[in-house]
Amino acid sequence: MRPFVYERPASVSAAAAIASRFAAEGVPPTEAAAQFIAGGTNLADYMRLGVAQPARLVDLNGLGDRALRQIEVGDDSIRFGALVRMGEAADTGEIKRRCPMLAESLKFAASGQIRNMASLAGNVLQRTRCEYFRETSWPCNKREPGSGCAAMEGFNRQHAVLGTSNACIATYHGDFAQALIALGATVEVEARRGMRKIAFSRLHRLPRDTPNVETELAPDEVITAIEVPLGAWSRRSRYVKIRDRESYAFALASAAVALDMDGDTVSQARIALGGVATVPWRARAAEEALSGKALDDEAAEAAAEAAFAEAKPREHNAFKIPLGKRTLVRALLETRDMKV
Amino acid sequence: MSETPLASLSRRSFMTGSVSAAAAGPLMATSAKAAAPQPAASAEPRDLSAISLRINKQPYNLALDNRTSLLDALRDHVGLTGTKKGCDHGQCGACTVLVDGKRVLSCLSFAVMNKGHEITTVEGLASADGNLHPMQQAFIDNDAFQCGYCTPGQIMSAIGCINEGHAGSEGDIREYMSGNLCRCAAYPNIVAAIMQAQDETRKA
Amino acid sequence: MNQAAPAPKENMGNPVPRIDARLKVTGQAGYSADLPTANMAYGALATSSIAKGSITAVRLEKARKVPGVLDIVSVGDMDGIDKPKFGNTGASSIAPLHDKAIFHDGQIIALVVAETFEAAEEAAALIRADYAEETPSAGFDSRGTEMEPAAGKSPLFKEDVKAGDFDAAYAAAAVKIDEKYSTPTQHHNPIELFSTTAVWQGDQLTVYEPSQNVTGWKAELARQLKIDPANVRIVSPYVGGAFGSKGPMTARTAIVAVAARSVGRPVRCVVSRIQAYGTQTYRAETRHRIRIGANQDGRITAFAHEGWEVTSRPDPYVVGGTSATGRMYDYGSVLTHVSLVHADRNTPGYMRSPPETPYVYALENAMDEMAVALGMDPVEFRRVNEPQKEPIGGKPFSSRSLVKCYDQAAEAFGWSKREAAVGSMRDGDWLVGMGCATAIYPTAAAPCAARVRLTTDGEVRVQCGSHEIGTGVRTVAAQMAAERLGIEMDKVSVEMGDSALPPAPVSGGSISTASVCSAVLKACDAVRAKLFAAAVAEAGPLAGSGNAKLEMSQEKIVADNGKSAKLSDVFKTMQIGAIEEYAEFAPKGSSPEALKKLYAGQSEFHGGDQDKDSVKYAFGAEFVEVRINSHTREIRVPRIVGAFAAGRIMNTRTARSQLMGGMIWGIGQALHEATEIDKRHARYVNRDLQDYLVPVNADVKQLEVILVPEIDHEVNPAGVKGLGELGNVGTAAAVASAVYHATGKRIRDLPIRIDHLIV
Repeated sequence: MRPFVYERPASVSAAAAIASRFAAEGVPPTEAAAQFIAGGTNLADYMRLGVAQPARLVDLNGLGDRALRQIEVGDDSIRFGALVRMGEAADTGEIKRRCPMLAESLKFAASGQIRNMASLAGNVLQRTRCEYFRETSWPCNKREPGSGCAAMEGFNRQHAVLGTSNACIATYHGDFAQALIALGATVEVEARRGMRKIAFSRLHRLPRDTPNVETELAPDEVITAIEVPLGAWSRRSRYVKIRDRESYAFALASAAVALDMDGDTVSQARIALGGVATVPWRARAAEEALSGKALDDEAAEAAAEAAFAEAKPREHNAFKIPLGKRTLVRALLETRDMKV
Repeated sequence: MSETPLASLSRRSFMTGSVSAAAAGPLMATSAKAAAPQPAASAEPRDLSAISLRINKQPYNLALDNRTSLLDALRDHVGLTGTKKGCDHGQCGACTVLVDGKRVLSCLSFAVMNKGHEITTVEGLASADGNLHPMQQAFIDNDAFQCGYCTPGQIMSAIGCINEGHAGSEGDIREYMSGNLCRCAAYPNIVAAIMQAQDETRKA
Repeated sequence: MNQAAPAPKENMGNPVPRIDARLKVTGQAGYSADLPTANMAYGALATSSIAKGSITAVRLEKARKVPGVLDIVSVGDMDGIDKPKFGNTGASSIAPLHDKAIFHDGQIIALVVAETFEAAEEAAALIRADYAEETPSAGFDSRGTEMEPAAGKSPLFKEDVKAGDFDAAYAAAAVKIDEKYSTPTQHHNPIELFSTTAVWQGDQLTVYEPSQNVTGWKAELARQLKIDPANVRIVSPYVGGAFGSKGPMTARTAIVAVAARSVGRPVRCVVSRIQAYGTQTYRAETRHRIRIGANQDGRITAFAHEGWEVTSRPDPYVVGGTSATGRMYDYGSVLTHVSLVHADRNTPGYMRSPPETPYVYALENAMDEMAVALGMDPVEFRRVNEPQKEPIGGKPFSSRSLVKCYDQAAEAFGWSKREAAVGSMRDGDWLVGMGCATAIYPTAAAPCAARVRLTTDGEVRVQCGSHEIGTGVRTVAAQMAAERLGIEMDKVSVEMGDSALPPAPVSGGSISTASVCSAVLKACDAVRAKLFAAAVAEAGPLAGSGNAKLEMSQEKIVADNGKSAKLSDVFKTMQIGAIEEYAEFAPKGSSPEALKKLYAGQSEFHGGDQDKDSVKYAFGAEFVEVRINSHTREIRVPRIVGAFAAGRIMNTRTARSQLMGGMIWGIGQALHEATEIDKRHARYVNRDLQDYLVPVNADVKQLEVILVPEIDHEVNPAGVKGLGELGNVGTAAAVASAVYHATGKRIRDLPIRIDHLIV
């Protein structure tokens, strides 16, 4: 691991100032000289692998603002401070009741220990677990722009079928982010130049030609809060995650589904898909396919077909297309049948 | 000889051994400098940081590389080798310790980030008179290990799991203990041990 | 008495808790990398990023500049050191740092030694090599591999067993199958990381390293370093999981010793989880073709098992499970053939039941297919083909309780409630399937020495250079001594894991309990003989009881004439404070050199199919229930029952735990474990515990182990059959048959995953 200077600022503005001092034009946060750390579950791992090489770590755990560590459940929204730990959010009874999908997406992620460590903001920024990205001796456009993609023709069972590009097929493995994108969350960020809000659906960038640029964030922007609007769909929501083993594994496929039902008819569906795409993936085509329809097996299957219409398989991950469809069908039917 | 408990060995060897030599030699030389207050901006990446940790209710003043994980700090610099390294990447749970009562992976936590926190390791569980923590006794009663390597992490995780309120049923225990791999696969016995010890652990 | 401590049945010892349990739950058990050493430096490896070719230059400049780096040992720095050898003690003949050839991905190209772990790791990551790269062959189906017959290539695999005229019998069979099966590369992944700590004091070298063979390593390390074995000591008091991975010594041990000598300080090198994939051994990838022919009544008339196994370019590591599968049932005729496929891979090695896991998986999956083809119940099919004698040499089994195992496991499992038709069982959204398979493991033992000391106050010390790898061998050795000397367990201590102790064989092949207990038994009996003689002598406390039968109990010598004498009184008459006896055990049929070889670190195995009078195996039967989601097809094993018979059970607690762990390994074999390889580059891809999946706690729900009583005086003096490797044999086939039962899909390639079932 590369040696680094450690700093522990007391305020968001001080943290942003440090990052700003070491930011360089055109360099994304993941390659910046100064990087933020909160739980460390992702960054420490990648630093030890030599994938992340910050010269300076800015520890956000000393930030004094209490709101950063609080969850506020209001009538029409839930506001998560950025430093709230995954485990705490997963265990909050109000969240489980008001929006089960959010709590489930957290509970089924990682392990108890990691959930105690990982901050919510850090979690949504977690980087891909693509094996070729993790091992620095392989070519990888995300890690070393222009070096090529070893996964494309390599062993790619865990790789994405949606949102891929000619440069990158690495999966976004997070769970919580699927709930956030399905629910239309907003991320609040702060830098020296002020605050801004970013729609969660705009936070992550498709890989396209620049898979090394993973988010809309500037290196000196600190996420301070995540706000999730609640609506008629929130209580009838589920997160279904399919894994090779029963627990402590990344999703082969997952589906976050929230439904506003009028009798048997879907007034509004909110759907996101995990484990199958390069970024958190809102399945708008599936949502539209369901809108105003009675949710029976056939409608669920039609929605799943729509969701994967653009999917591109590689040698080892073709199974993710039928699996992703069936995961969505199962999630839709289970969500429909929830007693709320 | 090979049955000598490690504590006596390490205490003795540590006086002349790794603290004074491997760690303290090069470390102490720079620790005074590191310990002195310095403006952050002039810090160099290779400077050691002065770190005060509370481990098992004892204060420790260390001078550490910023890169040193809490796990390596415990093992190589404090001499508490009960906490184990199984992967160093947060994938096995063998390094689980309690920080302020919550279970975390010490391999993914830089020691420097733990200033001022109360750290509990497996060495801190038994009482001073040698009485085992109820979870330790339950692990023995239920043969909840074979090789014993993942055991300190399992025990710390089990206590954390109960503290979190996630040990209400066997199903919950299985799910919430899945972050601790046991390659000998003592899982059913681990579940039985936690069921046995949970009431007493809550009181402990 | 709880579930973990089953009540002993006939010929079973008490479930006493492990004697090292307290040390293990308090963090005081010292594993190799825990042991404190003064003035220690840290080592870190750099490994190759290609699989075939040669090194033209190793670039060390950047690494040397890292503050704290003391030395770097790299290619060419092993001058004067002998190369590693492939064999029972050495993992591979591949000699990294000796020469420039690269034989596999992840081969060691340098060892950095630094003041701190952080500096060593940082520097190692900065090392780059220039290579003259060649296109590697990854394994099966790759161009450029070399295939050869396996028979005779390894002392452990002398021939392809056969019996009768397979071709004629198969041609004439009324019902037949001809199918192919495969098993993947797998890595042991013990949770303890591999490590070497080398400490020189003058010309004396002590190495702390997790080992299953301290005596063998002492000899092998001395050979490589060209020093007197008397100057080498290997210490491995506790081993954090082994499963075969710590049996053969790898190239790293000598490299670290050389580095420590070079820097003049102790060096500890803990190998990263990732680097272990290329620097340690692993389970070889295998393929199988099985043909079975039978009469309409289900009696097998013809059995052929062909196997293909991937190994490294230079080393003929043979899995060779046909000697077990060829003797499993009453086949009529048998044809087997095993081939090696040499590829640009590191050399495979022993991994928990090395031959049986893949070969019996293939056999038992085929047996289930055959039962389906015959329309028979799979348990009944096996019962019909239960042999009186093994089919190859016509020898009897020393004991064989397979049918009893099937009966008891089937009863506990509720096999009679299984509806035979495929896809007929369902629970809500979950398809339910049930399957079964046979477990088999050869019973062997090897020469072993032990020293036992009994003092006048009843303290017993047992010393034996065996290894506590989690099996409970310390505990059962203590039990054997306690029982034989009539002493309570808490007064018995056991020292193991040190080459300075009386030598023991490699802790592999499930031989440790039998070999160690037989040696301890012999030493205890020598202690008893001295005590008994003194007790009944003229001046002794039991004078006049010379014809009585004597026993030891509760620190007394008890005669069957009702008299007894306190141990301390016997010692008093002998005017000594302790009796210490050193005993050597050699199994029946051992060669005249067997004991000499023991001291030279070579283990001579006896038993299994090698003996003249009988063949010796332990057996078991496993039943599993699988559940497969009807939508998403994930596969779970909520229930598993195994019944096993393995001669004398020394301790029902440790025996059950080992079998339980084995069965869970079997679930992993069936559903999770595979090391994936990038075929273009012959490089492992999923080299960690995030992508190489092993079962977690949530994967195991109901699990039952049934210990079936069995008495076998023929196997060894202790009457013990090994069972550490029995539990994971057959499990994967039982899962495969249950998956078939649930879905109608026969999966022949492990691991069985969603990928197979979703389309």
